[in-house]
Amino acid sequence: MSREKRIMKEMQAIKEDPEANIGLQFVNEGDIHLMKGSFLGPPGTPYEGGKFMVNIEVPMEYPFKPPLMKFDTKVYHPNISSVTGAICLDILKNAWSPVITLKSALISLQALLQSPEPNDPQDAEVAQHFIKDKESFNKTAALWTKTYACAHLQGEPADVDEASLYGIDNALIEQFMALGFTRSKIIEVVRRLGIKTMSPGDNETVNKILEQLVR
Amino acid sequence: MSPRPEYVSDSDSGLDVFSECHSFEEPSSTNIEILSDDSEFDFSSGDYSEEEDARIENATSELESGSLLKGSKSGKLEPLGPPKLNYGCLTTDQIYQIMLSRLKALEPVLNRTPEDIIVLLQKFGWNEERLLECWTDDDNGVLISCGLKPKDDIKCERGIKEVRDFVCPICCESGQTEAFSLECGHEYCLDCHRHYIQDKLGEGKIITCMSCPLALRNHDIDVLTGTNSSQKLMLSSMKSFIQKHSSHYKWCPFVDCNYVIQIGNISCLSEFPRFHASPYVICDNMHKFCFRCSLESHDPGDCKVADQWVKTAQVESANLNWVLKNTKECPKCGVNIEKNGGCNHMTCKSCLFEFCWICERQWADHGGSYFECTRFKKEDKNDPQESKSTLRKYTFYYRLFSEHENSAKLDWKLGQTVEQKVRALQETTGLSWIETQFLPESIRVLIEGRTTLKWSFPVAFYSDASHNLTKIFVDNQLLLVTAVEDLSQLLQIKEPRKIVEKKLEFFNKSQFVKSRERALIECGRDLLCKGICCPQK
Repeated sequence: MSREKRIMKEMQAIKEDPEANIGLQFVNEGDIHLMKGSFLGPPGTPYEGGKFMVNIEVPMEYPFKPPLMKFDTKVYHPNISSVTGAICLDILKNAWSPVITLKSALISLQALLQSPEPNDPQDAEVAQHFIKDKESFNKTAALWTKTYACAHLQGEPADVDEASLYGIDNALIEQFMALGFTRSKIIEVVRRLGIKTMSPGDNETVNKILEQLVR
Repeated sequence: MSPRPEYVSDSDSGLDVFSECHSFEEPSSTNIEILSDDSEFDFSSGDYSEEEDARIENATSELESGSLLKGSKSGKLEPLGPPKLNYGCLTTDQIYQIMLSRLKALEPVLNRTPEDIIVLLQKFGWNEERLLECWTDDDNGVLISCGLKPKDDIKCERGIKEVRDFVCPICCESGQTEAFSLECGHEYCLDCHRHYIQDKLGEGKIITCMSCPLALRNHDIDVLTGTNSSQKLMLSSMKSFIQKHSSHYKWCPFVDCNYVIQIGNISCLSEFPRFHASPYVICDNMHKFCFRCSLESHDPGDCKVADQWVKTAQVESANLNWVLKNTKECPKCGVNIEKNGGCNHMTCKSCLFEFCWICERQWADHGGSYFECTRFKKEDKNDPQESKSTLRKYTFYYRLFSEHENSAKLDWKLGQTVEQKVRALQETTGLSWIETQFLPESIRVLIEGRTTLKWSFPVAFYSDASHNLTKIFVDNQLLLVTAVEDLSQLLQIKEPRKIVEKKLEFFNKSQFVKSRERALIECGRDLLCKGICCPQK
């Protein structure tokens, strides 16, 4: 009933405010059920320069039920699943209120990129990386932004090495490749253990990785 | 009788106590006769010297703990148990009244309207102490955090107001003439408010303005969504009330039962563990459960045994469960058989072999008076791996436990259908309601008997198998099994006319199950009191 009117009005409001750099389109014209939203990565973060696409599903009960939002662009962020793009954000769940609009929800996502909440993670591997080594995390997140979120600038996405995609030190992988293990196997194990780099002579870590590799 | 001298020499002093207890009922009987009466053994076959011995020991051990015994009017022996529990079964409406009365008590202290106090209590999860604590610290802060006082100046009055050229920001519909807002001035149309409130009523939390933390009072909710809708909110808020006051109140744990049990004398709850007894309560739907652990009746085990058993079961039995729930093969011809009735006396449809579902041996082997399949045989005496044998022992008892659990469920289903049939008979032949009540009663006894039997296996599992009392306990188990199976078989009769004919048999068998059940519970408690059954092994 009122859902159409409200969504049309929200679209209008976004068009009237180009400064905010928020995009919102229907996936199929005339179907208000599925939409695609976009926003720019907040400046001063590893997400800067990227354009992030979000799949939006508007439920029948909208605006009394929250819209279902999921990142279409791959994002390296503690509160966003690096695999599925699922988002852990309270206003999209129990803290939803009918006064929140799709625009304000997208702005909240932008704010989430700015201030991650690693203690309430959606992606444990990423969150661990964030807590353990912030600098390395920032590098990886920036690489993901460059690889996945800058397609609108370059056209074709560049081919990126899997190891650097997960912020894993290349020297570490080469050390184990010298022992005869395959690159993909090493990356899989090291990711599972949450190890990104290794100081020379750290036999304990070496043994831990070897133990998993030979299993 | 040969064991008699032994018995006398064993407990000379106890004899007096024993005969005293019975003297007003059967003053002329000899001791041995009383014994037989009391334990209601039915030994038709000649070979019973072993059991007789065990029974004598049973009696003597009861006598040794003579201080625990007292004579009741019926002449039965009852241990001096924990104090009687005073409790009531309340409906949700009654709980609501109690909540209101607690609220009234706070009124003079907080000096706010009852509606505000409801909001405060909801915010504090019905924890009155914490509310009062915070209130004395900073009453203004509490009011603001609960949304009872706007932070900024009051912009307008709360309530429904007439508006012109109003476009609701939620639904974007124009041309409406009425809107609602609180003091904050966030106006939305009535339809949107209703929709919003309806969604929130089930959450049991404060409903705030859609834009700010200002709280809607029950009155506002009723004004918007119609009278009594705030009661729905109260119902969901009741859950947190009961949770907060769980020492006094407990929901009946049975599925779809909405009764709440309130304990009057909670101080006596602490008395129960000392006697290895559990505070059982029965709700108005006849659901019996333990107030302490919210499990079904788990006699003869105490809460500790039940708790330990349930915990072990959770860890060990995930796989086991799957295996046990599947069919069994006929021991003779190997046809797969699914058990769809409560009785454990199975007849293979294919080869007509009659066998016991539990031990998978020929039914006739069990005989009339001797039923052996609840006794765990130590076949793996030479097994070097202790843990493996413990697991096997556990598996054995768990299997029995779940067999009886399943049987009780099936009995219940069976009871439902038989009851319907009797109802039909009642209509056709004009039997009165009261005349047919023996049937639901015997089903109730059967299920209770099975429940006791079921929970006796954990007790047996945790007991020292070499002790004589444990052997007596197992014998008691066997007797209850026989009694329960007999009654269960009687309930298999599908013909309503036959059921009515066998009314007396129903009555007798039920009574027998009851008395066997009592004996088993007593014996189990004895095991616990003497420390023979010890779950922390």
